[in-house]
Amino acid sequence: MIVVVGSRHDRIARSLVEALPTAALCGAEDLTRPGWQWPVASPEPARWVVDGRVVDDHEVTGVLVRRTHIYPEELVSTHPDDRAYLAAESTAFLIFVLSRTAARVVNPVAAGALGDEAIRPERWMPLAAAAGLRPAPLRLRPSVTPRASRKPSTVEVVGGTAFGTAPPRLRAGATALAAALQIAYAAFVFDGQGRLVTVSSAHPPGRAARRALASLLAKRSGG
Amino acid sequence: MILVWGALDDPPVTDVLQMLRGRGADVVHLDRGRLGGLDYDISLEPVPRGWIAVDGRRIPLETISAIYLRPEPQPDARPAPASACLLAIAAFLDAVVVNRPAVGRSNLTKPFQLAAIAEAGFTVPPTLVTTDPVAAREFLERHRRVVYKSISGIRSIVGALDASAAERLSGVRTGPVQLQRWIDGIDVRVHVVGERWFATAIQSDATDYRYASRTGDDITIVATDIDGVLGERLVALTRHMGLLVAGIDLRVTADDEWFCFEVNPSPGFTFYEDATGQAIAAAIADLLMHPSRRDRPDATHGPGLTRPGPETKLPQVSDRSRLRHARGRAR
Repeated sequence: MIVVVGSRHDRIARSLVEALPTAALCGAEDLTRPGWQWPVASPEPARWVVDGRVVDDHEVTGVLVRRTHIYPEELVSTHPDDRAYLAAESTAFLIFVLSRTAARVVNPVAAGALGDEAIRPERWMPLAAAAGLRPAPLRLRPSVTPRASRKPSTVEVVGGTAFGTAPPRLRAGATALAAALQIAYAAFVFDGQGRLVTVSSAHPPGRAARRALASLLAKRSGG
Repeated sequence: MILVWGALDDPPVTDVLQMLRGRGADVVHLDRGRLGGLDYDISLEPVPRGWIAVDGRRIPLETISAIYLRPEPQPDARPAPASACLLAIAAFLDAVVVNRPAVGRSNLTKPFQLAAIAEAGFTVPPTLVTTDPVAAREFLERHRRVVYKSISGIRSIVGALDASAAERLSGVRTGPVQLQRWIDGIDVRVHVVGERWFATAIQSDATDYRYASRTGDDITIVATDIDGVLGERLVALTRHMGLLVAGIDLRVTADDEWFCFEVNPSPGFTFYEDATGQAIAAAIADLLMHPSRRDRPDATHGPGLTRPGPETKLPQVSDRSRLRHARGRAR
């Protein structure tokens, strides 16, 4: 089983569930349903709740994450006074689950953060330089609005394979950087000068990347 | 130059400031009130460049040797631009930073951190995070007494449940709850500062000694001593998590078994310092002013989760008299 962790209101998450074989959506509502159990230093089996169904962790082969937080507004079945607390608790729980599952999680989970919050610029910039890429400087001034890059190009890396029409040097650099960051899926966005602007695991995967993801998510890391 | 960022009504910030100024350090203090007037021009790249200006004083980034930060809570989830700039500097700069913003995040998901502590070779209490009332009741039945505590970084009062309260566990079905086997023993808070550590024993009948005054329970706090091997292991754990300063919560049982519960990346150490006279603020000031090479972990470092090798087994407490001493004093 492939689990897509996301919101029912996220069109891309829904389309991924349709496109990926044996996939199901694990939404915010699932985190407030009975059935979850995740131990530390204790013998209980690990269990998810996915689309309302209790699922043993060993049934899950791969996980794709389309969110960094659970938001209070999503917890419609919870009393409004309790939503902010429960959203924080559910986010913390989700990060814990994704860090412990035996399934392959293609998005980064590190340092108590999830997805793009775990791919921090202070991490990827030095590693990008070491991988032969030129990071675009990020300018911070009180009253400057960042300008959009002209003619950006995107390289998607899935399980060590690069997709996209960027020059081979950028594709090779992106692949090396994905390995250095230990992430199975990410998009690397370059500006018109070939400088790396950002690394994101929230980028909607293209058609070729989806096919590669389907294959990657269908088997566990050790499989 | 040393940058200190935090509120002047926050005792750890004022104590560190006082110690730095008393030692003649060149210190610039920032708090929410002064952030509004902060000017800056920063270019974040593998080696960041630029400057910040505080009260008309322009400070090039390369002159900042150390940062101590305990930012005030933000009124909004998204930090103000000046706060975001300072957080970025604290994240990127090749300096002594207590502590880098990202590395403290593991404390925002307690079971994630607990698993990391266990993987680093420490004994942790059996723990179950669940929304399943049946699993929760079985866990309680097995351990007879459990505590429940928040999963996230939101502070909550730790509560205890025994078998007579099993029906209350029906409530877990509405959201995840963290249950932990009750460990009977003496609380020991260890503050790690660089290579040094300060151990404090806390004796209280309260389930959560931090709130003993609310529950009318007595609390006794005394400086204590821990085995040097354990101290070294706690220093290593702190570094493993990418931290330079940490407040580590442990409990030692009557059988001399040590359990580790949590590593706090921004400890309110003055609560313990005021009670014991331990020179924690002074140690932090020394760390900021005179770091060793090991005190400058690079910004790419994050909590490691690799399993420890056989040489990193939990230390056995070889000098039991020290622990008996700790218990005697704590009582």
